[in-house]
Amino acid sequence: MRLFQQQQRRWRSEKREETSETETLKGKFFYLRLLMLTLFAVLTLQLVRLQVFEGEAYQERAENNRLRVVPVMPSRGLIFDSKGVPLVENVPLFSVGIIPADLPREKEAQVLPQLEALTGVPAAEIAKNVEERRGSNDPFTPVIVKSGLEPEKAFALREMEQWLPGVEVIVEPVRRYGGQPLFSHILGYMGRLDTKNYEELKSKGYQMNDQMGKAGVEAQYEVVLRGVPGRREVEVNAAGREIQTLNSKPAQPGNSLVLTLDTDLQQKTAEFLQQAMGDSLNAAAMVMDVRTGKMLAMVSLPNFDDNVFTNISEEQWKALLDDPSKPLVDHCISEIYPPGSTFKQVTASGALQEGVANAGTTITSYGSITVKNEYDPNIVYVFKDWSALGTLNFYGGVAQSSDVYFYYLGGGYYEDGVQLFRGLGATKLAEYSRRFGLGAPTGIDLPGEAAGMIPDPEWKEREIGEPWTIGDTYNFSIGQGYVATTPLQMLLVTSAVANGGNVMAPRVVEAIIDANGQIVTQFKERVARQLGVSDDNLALLREGMSQAVSWGTAKNAAVSGVNVAGKTGTAEFGPDLGGGTYESHAWFTGFAPAEDPEVAVVVFLQKGNGAKNAAPVGGRILDYYFNR
Amino acid sequence: MYVRRLRNFDFILFLASLALVAYGVVLIYSGSLPSYESAAASLSHPVGRQIAFAVVGVVIMLLLTRMDYHLLGYGAPVLYMAAMAALVLVLVVSSAVYGSRRWIEIAGTPVQPSEISKLVLIIVMARYLTDRQEQIGQAKTFLASLGIALVPIILVFAEPDLGSAVIFVAIWLAMVIIAGARSKHILGLFASFAVAMPFVLIGLINDYQRERIATFLDPGKDPLGAGFNTLQAEIGIGSGGLFGKGLTHGTQTQLDYLRTQTTDYIFSVLGEELGFVGAVVLFALFVLLLWRGLQTATSCPDPFGRLLATGIVTFILFQVFINVGVNIRLLPVTGIPLPFISQGGSSLITLFIALGILQSIRVHKPARW
Repeated sequence: MRLFQQQQRRWRSEKREETSETETLKGKFFYLRLLMLTLFAVLTLQLVRLQVFEGEAYQERAENNRLRVVPVMPSRGLIFDSKGVPLVENVPLFSVGIIPADLPREKEAQVLPQLEALTGVPAAEIAKNVEERRGSNDPFTPVIVKSGLEPEKAFALREMEQWLPGVEVIVEPVRRYGGQPLFSHILGYMGRLDTKNYEELKSKGYQMNDQMGKAGVEAQYEVVLRGVPGRREVEVNAAGREIQTLNSKPAQPGNSLVLTLDTDLQQKTAEFLQQAMGDSLNAAAMVMDVRTGKMLAMVSLPNFDDNVFTNISEEQWKALLDDPSKPLVDHCISEIYPPGSTFKQVTASGALQEGVANAGTTITSYGSITVKNEYDPNIVYVFKDWSALGTLNFYGGVAQSSDVYFYYLGGGYYEDGVQLFRGLGATKLAEYSRRFGLGAPTGIDLPGEAAGMIPDPEWKEREIGEPWTIGDTYNFSIGQGYVATTPLQMLLVTSAVANGGNVMAPRVVEAIIDANGQIVTQFKERVARQLGVSDDNLALLREGMSQAVSWGTAKNAAVSGVNVAGKTGTAEFGPDLGGGTYESHAWFTGFAPAEDPEVAVVVFLQKGNGAKNAAPVGGRILDYYFNR
Repeated sequence: MYVRRLRNFDFILFLASLALVAYGVVLIYSGSLPSYESAAASLSHPVGRQIAFAVVGVVIMLLLTRMDYHLLGYGAPVLYMAAMAALVLVLVVSSAVYGSRRWIEIAGTPVQPSEISKLVLIIVMARYLTDRQEQIGQAKTFLASLGIALVPIILVFAEPDLGSAVIFVAIWLAMVIIAGARSKHILGLFASFAVAMPFVLIGLINDYQRERIATFLDPGKDPLGAGFNTLQAEIGIGSGGLFGKGLTHGTQTQLDYLRTQTTDYIFSVLGEELGFVGAVVLFALFVLLLWRGLQTATSCPDPFGRLLATGIVTFILFQVFINVGVNIRLLPVTGIPLPFISQGGSSLITLFIALGILQSIRVHKPARW
């Protein structure tokens, strides 16, 4: 009760001062009211600034917060062989990624160890990558933590996504190639965009983690196979989870390819070639329809498993690159070799067309011819034949593959400065080579084709700084020396001889079809260039090549029931092994039926003899083709 | 007697408080949509809980209205001891949420003692200053009153709850000024505090508070980390514009960009969904409520009642200012609920107790002499 007593006492004793004290109090309360109004005014002013003056800017930021454009990836087109057998399928690949923008830093300590437990990727490594991407201008694209997750783990993670902010299980389609590496070089493989690709391609709708064709038709026909990505405008919540789709444009699926290749023929070609390889590091064999340029089989050995590229490790990649047999290289089109005697088709065509030779031109091979040095007659160069073949007419020269015969046709023959036989000459030889399409890519629809090498005097002067000699012409005439071609180029030479002078544009894709199987583009045969050699002259050469198979060097290529015409080649390469012997490449090119050519074939073995090793493979392939 | 009481009952104050609670319930409903999909009717739903607390609060308020507020004066020392003990208990037993310890569990319900202790400080200060109204001009008494206030200030500061500490200071200051403290004492105190300030900042404020202040100054520095809340609340409010996006249609609110959006950041929900107009309506309701509160203070001839009313008005005013100030980035982040609006029983019941005291002051004020 003390309180009350005190109060009562106060009122009595100080009543006098009440008025002034009340005035002071009124003043104080006035200021308290003023303070209250001021504080609310401050709040209101700030709200006016935020909501009225800057409202639109904040609205935009709120929209940017909630709206994201998500690309819709089209399903990639398939690839079929000429009979409609699918050579590749799309299968799901599960990956786990983190969207850096959606993983708050303070949650990292909780989220990352769980990811480590599931994927085996160290938390510290994940943290580093996430932090790196956070600093970039694209924190909404997921950082891939691990690609190729087992499906069970992927499903488990999906369940947990809700508790792991920023973590996303990504399902993306990847390619699975038919189980065997039969078409590895043709089909190629897919790989993720590297930074350089991405910079170039992002304007075309590629995402940072996208895959693209990196080799073979996967790369060549990337635009066709990929399709057109669609887009979805989605609303996302703060954790980055999609709430609803506001707008969407569907993806356009990629179109499919029908190859010209026949799986069975491809299979047999690979098998026969493999059996003949011996100690060759690599080999190539192809079959082409001479009338259309369609590739029916196209084999480069050794091949590789295209499937390893979906998830390749550094070591696997390095092992493939360092392999001395170069499995990643398509030896059909990407490497060049001296064509050896198969080149005599070019020399012969030119010599016949230019009137240097005719069917009755006889030349005697004593096993070699000699050339004296222009300045010092004591120096004598010897150009050997593979044997002293005696007197030969044109057919004999081709059938026996006499080097001396072709030295004469290409370079002529001189004794003591007197011309005894007029040859074609280096310049004409180079010209006819180019008419056959040598020295330039054939334009096949595959990436990575080599141009090959056709020398001429001007070139030698320019590049080597030495004058062209008659010896250079002799070497050139028999496909040695500076000349170099891809196996495909030699196949086209033979097919042009076979079809009467048309160098065809070779193709591996027959047609493009859409997802419903409707033909979008049907490729027509195309003549890339014409030889300008009369068919009569080519007929002489065809006869020579036919005789090569019936009684000459290419006997091993003979096939029962069909007349084969062909030309072998044993092209020397590398250093002198002593006594003028060298290692050699084995070649065979041929066509059949000889009287009405349908297909041409080329066989190349990195080590071997044309007649002994390559011709039999050509024969077996043609045998399978005609007698299967 | 009863009729006279009824006549003095401040219906406007009461209705303003009910309007605020209703406003809050609507906002809580909208703000809790992202996390509660089920109907709002159940008691486990924030809306149901808030209404239940409001009902309990109103009952307590009516009981307190009937009680003579002078009785509070007697209980002051006991209340003070109990409240301080609770604040100590918080520091000892509770676990940290968002870096600070503020709650203790009583029968499964989290209770925030700092809320009710603000009211206790008001009662204790009113009693102390009424007892010594002649001595308040003396430095000794002035400092002693500061001492009483400093105990809870230090305890909440240690939680750490900077916002509550500021509110305690504001309550004490307003009350000693009204009680007649000398201006030279107050100014002297401010001067010495200003000198000591740098040391306080370095020594007493911990990393968590320093980070908050740094984030306040530049939330863009770490938009996905510590600055997230500040930035998203600002975006939410700003994007509301003049009329808002419509209740339950705020994208920031409904897509979870705001955190603690039914409690400390509920003003962001209002700003986004109801816009500037909605905020002005809220301010108007607060001004009305506080104005009535000050009316009670000025019209009370009894210094005890006057001081109580002053303290209560100051308490609510600063609570509102700090909460909204934090939401609209005028002040650094500190967790203070928005009176009557924020979800939370401790705050709501404390506020209705405060209103009950205000009503009691009106109803039981001594007859004019």
